[in-house]
Amino acid sequence: MPPVAQHQVSGRRRRSPLPYTWQRGYLLASPALLVMVAILIYPLGYSFIMSFFRWDLSGSAPFAGVGNYTDELFGRQFNQALRNQTIFSVVSITIEVVAGMAIAVLVNGKLRGMRLARTLLLVPPMIAPAVVGLNFRWLFNTQYGLVDALLRMFNLPEIPWLNHPTWALVSVIIADVWQNTPLMVLLFLAGLQSLPQEPLEAATVDGATPWQRFWHIVLPLMRPVIMIALMLRIIDTFRTFDVVWLMTQGGPGGATNLLTVYSYLLAFQAVDFGHAAAVSYIALGMSLFVLGLLYGIPWLIAKRRAI
Amino acid sequence: MSASLSRRKFLAASAAVTAGSLAAPWVARAQANEITALLITGGPLYPKYWEKIVQDFTAKTGIKVRYDLLEFTPLTSKVVTLSAARSSQYDVYSTHTAQIDSYFNHFAPLNSYFSESELAEFYPVAVKYLSDPKTGNLAAIPRNMDARVQYYRSDVYQEKGLKPAETWEDLVDVGLKLTGNGHYGLVVPGQGDPAQRTFSDLLWQAGGDWVDQANKPAFNSEAGIKALTFYRDLIQKHKIVPPDAVGYQWNENSTELSSGTVYANFDWPGAFATLSNPETSRIVGKWSTAPYIRDKAAISCAISHAMALNGQSGRKEPAVEFIKYTVGPEAQRLQFEQFTNFPSSQVIAKEVIAAAKGPQATWLQQLETTIANGKEWPKLAGFSKVCTLMFSAIEQALTDQVSPSDSLNQAATEAEEIMRRAGAYD
Repeated sequence: MPPVAQHQVSGRRRRSPLPYTWQRGYLLASPALLVMVAILIYPLGYSFIMSFFRWDLSGSAPFAGVGNYTDELFGRQFNQALRNQTIFSVVSITIEVVAGMAIAVLVNGKLRGMRLARTLLLVPPMIAPAVVGLNFRWLFNTQYGLVDALLRMFNLPEIPWLNHPTWALVSVIIADVWQNTPLMVLLFLAGLQSLPQEPLEAATVDGATPWQRFWHIVLPLMRPVIMIALMLRIIDTFRTFDVVWLMTQGGPGGATNLLTVYSYLLAFQAVDFGHAAAVSYIALGMSLFVLGLLYGIPWLIAKRRAI
Repeated sequence: MSASLSRRKFLAASAAVTAGSLAAPWVARAQANEITALLITGGPLYPKYWEKIVQDFTAKTGIKVRYDLLEFTPLTSKVVTLSAARSSQYDVYSTHTAQIDSYFNHFAPLNSYFSESELAEFYPVAVKYLSDPKTGNLAAIPRNMDARVQYYRSDVYQEKGLKPAETWEDLVDVGLKLTGNGHYGLVVPGQGDPAQRTFSDLLWQAGGDWVDQANKPAFNSEAGIKALTFYRDLIQKHKIVPPDAVGYQWNENSTELSSGTVYANFDWPGAFATLSNPETSRIVGKWSTAPYIRDKAAISCAISHAMALNGQSGRKEPAVEFIKYTVGPEAQRLQFEQFTNFPSSQVIAKEVIAAAKGPQATWLQQLETTIANGKEWPKLAGFSKVCTLMFSAIEQALTDQVSPSDSLNQAATEAEEIMRRAGAYD
């Protein structure tokens, strides 16, 4: 900055009673920090404390230590929810990432109608999860739903989508994949379009097939984007609630009970906030653990290679 | 304007507005003659009903009522949240028998505000299950009764020469004769609380009960297994109920009959108005009512929508006056006129039954019989959590994931542990 401009800037600020110190920075940021503490840190801390108490509406809330955590970790319903959550997260994310990458590669090409396809891809993520849940509930209704009506039209056996424990879990995975695959496509598309072209051109000159170019050049270069996509989806699947609640309410018989749904039932049906908070923190711990593995393992491998 | 507004003045004005906004609710609440209420709604007529009740109450007493309306499920969630926060935002809550045990320590006891003779006017089953069995404290006062009777397609039954089912065996026989060509003889809900209500009715009818004399779980008795087996078989073996019913709650249960797909169900009093209205029913004039089915006994649930006083309220006297008005004769008569809600007062119930004619009179008598013989599941510590367990246990049996006996035995073991931890046996 030229000296004259510097003088003008300091001249404009001369009337300020506060000196230019780091304290001033904190002072000016304090309203925003206070709001953050009030709406983010305080509830988090409060619910964490709550998870160590027998916290219902009975009046007293005795200290339970880690009792709420052990009750749940060894409880049948929690373990069923944990199993469902694991299947839901692993299957959904795998399909979304693989299909997302395939579609991204496809729409990245210079084919006719790709611009329209890219625009249409924005539609599913823009729809509210509650609407998606309601739509899929109707689509998968055995009596009135479109999917079984089509199966009947082609003389194929009906599928008890929401009435059978396995099919119900498949149904909520389909709804999740439908809504979130386009988001993966958009992320991967942005990554593909920012890749350097030279290595690809060199590989083409050297006679590499499209598959070899994709596997040995595109995929390694896309790794940071894939990691971000995985991270976003892992966080998201551990928070999934609306779609499942509206499609099945966790049923039949807890077959689609994810950790969020189970925690909600504990809090608002069983009125047992202590256990509900414990389940929420176990879910948070699990998602952090998985994210830690996701970033930690490649880091360890890289470190070992360096040694 | 902008030229005269300095930064200092702007900041001062902003601070004043913020302070005013924060203080406004407290200032408003400081008015001596004003109370707040969180009330139930459900359908287009409810807002007008509450508006009239509040206007009439204010005209009579001079007490103003500021109120918010919410439908049943969000209302329940909000009351849970506010109670957990020990909030005094509302002085009065609409509530229900279903989860009342969770609020025994949060709703102020109403016993001292109602005389013995006043309480005796209400249906005993309603008062009993709104009271804490340990202390006898009355947590809420019933506003209207909820019980179910059988609704069936009288035109189809007449055409096929059938009579509405009276027993479990009849229900299967009639259902089999009616099922086919995309139609089903019966619908029952199979998910969550509605599934538990249905199982509960069958359990009592089979001669069982939820707990024994020592309050230990007894729903896995022979009667309980028989009830759940019968319930499952309606869907899985006899197939007289739509297969999707395992995911149905009350709305779907009602709609399947009103849309003409199904020929019978067991439904709440609101169904009478819904089925009579051409905007909500395709079977207007083609249906009738019959008593609930029976097995060893003719028992089904009799519960109530109720009014409660927030224990944190700083304005208990005027709040109780409002509660008394909402369960008083004028309000109960108006409720019946508007929604055909069955009165919680035995005196008013007898009055409306006497004034009713034709099918409505028959229906009201059937409802009164159900209420007179009605029961509710126990209001023991921890039972709300047992309910969550039961939703899953019943659904697992209904979808053939496990046998009824295995499902109930496992649930009973876990239920005892839940209630023990909650202090039900202290």
